[in-house]
Amino acid sequence: MTKMKRRTFVGLAAATTTALSMPSIAFGALPRVVVIGGGAGGATAAKYIAKDSKGAIDVTLVEASKRYYTCFFSNLYLGDFRAYGSIGHNYYGLAVNHGVNMVHEWALSVNNAAKKVNLGSGESISYDKLVISPGIDLKFESVNGYSAEAQSKMPHAWKSGTQVQLLKNQVKGMKKGGTFVMVPPPNPYRCPPGPYERVSMIAHQFKKSNPTAKIVILDPKNKFSKQGLFMEGWQKHYPGMIEWISAETHGGIKKINAATMEFETDLDTFKADAASVVPAQRAGRIAMNAGVNNGDWCPIVPASMQAQADENIYVLGDASIAKSMPKSGFSANSQAKVAANHIRGSLTGSKVFTPRFANTCWSLVATNDGIKVGANYKATDEKIDKTSGFISKTGEDSNLRKATYEESIGWYSGITSDMFS
Amino acid sequence: MKSKFILLSIVVCFFLMNKSYADQKQLVGADADYGEHLFGECVTCHNSTGLGQGIPKITGMKTSQFITKILAYKTKEKENAVMQMVAERLGEEEINSLALYLSKLK
Repeated sequence: MTKMKRRTFVGLAAATTTALSMPSIAFGALPRVVVIGGGAGGATAAKYIAKDSKGAIDVTLVEASKRYYTCFFSNLYLGDFRAYGSIGHNYYGLAVNHGVNMVHEWALSVNNAAKKVNLGSGESISYDKLVISPGIDLKFESVNGYSAEAQSKMPHAWKSGTQVQLLKNQVKGMKKGGTFVMVPPPNPYRCPPGPYERVSMIAHQFKKSNPTAKIVILDPKNKFSKQGLFMEGWQKHYPGMIEWISAETHGGIKKINAATMEFETDLDTFKADAASVVPAQRAGRIAMNAGVNNGDWCPIVPASMQAQADENIYVLGDASIAKSMPKSGFSANSQAKVAANHIRGSLTGSKVFTPRFANTCWSLVATNDGIKVGANYKATDEKIDKTSGFISKTGEDSNLRKATYEESIGWYSGITSDMFS
Repeated sequence: MKSKFILLSIVVCFFLMNKSYADQKQLVGADADYGEHLFGECVTCHNSTGLGQGIPKITGMKTSQFITKILAYKTKEKENAVMQMVAERLGEEEINSLALYLSKLK
């Protein structure tokens, strides 16, 4: 994201009306929370702070996009299990139902001392508490030869949106009997099972329309999330189609060439007919600008999600170091509720409850073959510690797998309703 | 006729109110604010407005039904890995607070 697009300053009509019709805001009587980023962390935080404070806190959500496409379930779009439109959502519900003031702009920088967020338009917004939930930026340079330019030939498709559409077109248009190369990212990254669900969904496409195609996974890791479950599923549904090659086997990806579609490793040079490269990641740039990062990610206080570097800033979701929680939409939603409760308590004196965190990640391997992993967490002084958990088992019967898939559909409906309405 | 209807309505209302009171009386340690806060954990999956496809709706569930189900997940009599995990860390105060909050939802 080297060039920030200037976006029009557009407050939704309803939100603007609400804000202007409340003179107390104009006189600065209400405490103000600004949330940067309208994904699973930010949208949830904005909603819960506004909803639970019942007008006692002025909440502004800064999000460049007017329509938000979720990363979660974008793989199901790749596999034709979801229409693209069904993973897109707007912010009308937050504005109309909860009075959240929507500002569709880029947040360019944070002035911590003055407690202000500077926007792309040149405007700035003051805050008492700031929530930063920017998701990830991609470290293109982490894969030698990959770049923002190369992403059109080898889409990362790791931030949903048009990259996923591009990838789907390339998968569907790949030559018969061709080879698809998938390069997953190194740890830590957004959505640990995501690359392997993606491979499953691409294999599902190939099984229908290109059954002699091959998929090669050149992994920078030696193991991956839900590995036994995915491997079992690939063998069952797509025998002989998918080859996973670990880092210790291929010796590292030395160089990729987007023009020739070649992947050079110690083991061999792989030629692809279509590919997806997901590079290493870091917290979204605004977190770096606010100075709440330590290296690529942002250390937080486990009990509240406050940035360790600034008590007036909270960092949610993928951008935070929320060990042992994975970087997932579910995690971000869970963290947002903890932060919202803490922010409300600190600004209005409302009750602050013991933080409770949870996560579950569902993945689809094939039609009606869903798998899941989940855990409960609690805050300790050092980290967000796992207290219990579960994972689907290999060899489960097909009815349970079908129920797990259907459960994931219910979850998608639930979490997106929780975020946006 | 009209007066009989009114009388019947009063009796029914009294019965319902009394039943609701009786339900809530058993909710030891219940706190509706805490219940509302905990409910945030439920609605990540349980859509409060939709049709309940894939995951059942829990709004509108009777207090006794809610408690029975949660306890069945807690003792693992009822199958579902996610719900067993959710129920596992709900103590009496949490379950009763959720039940009280749910009973106040329309």
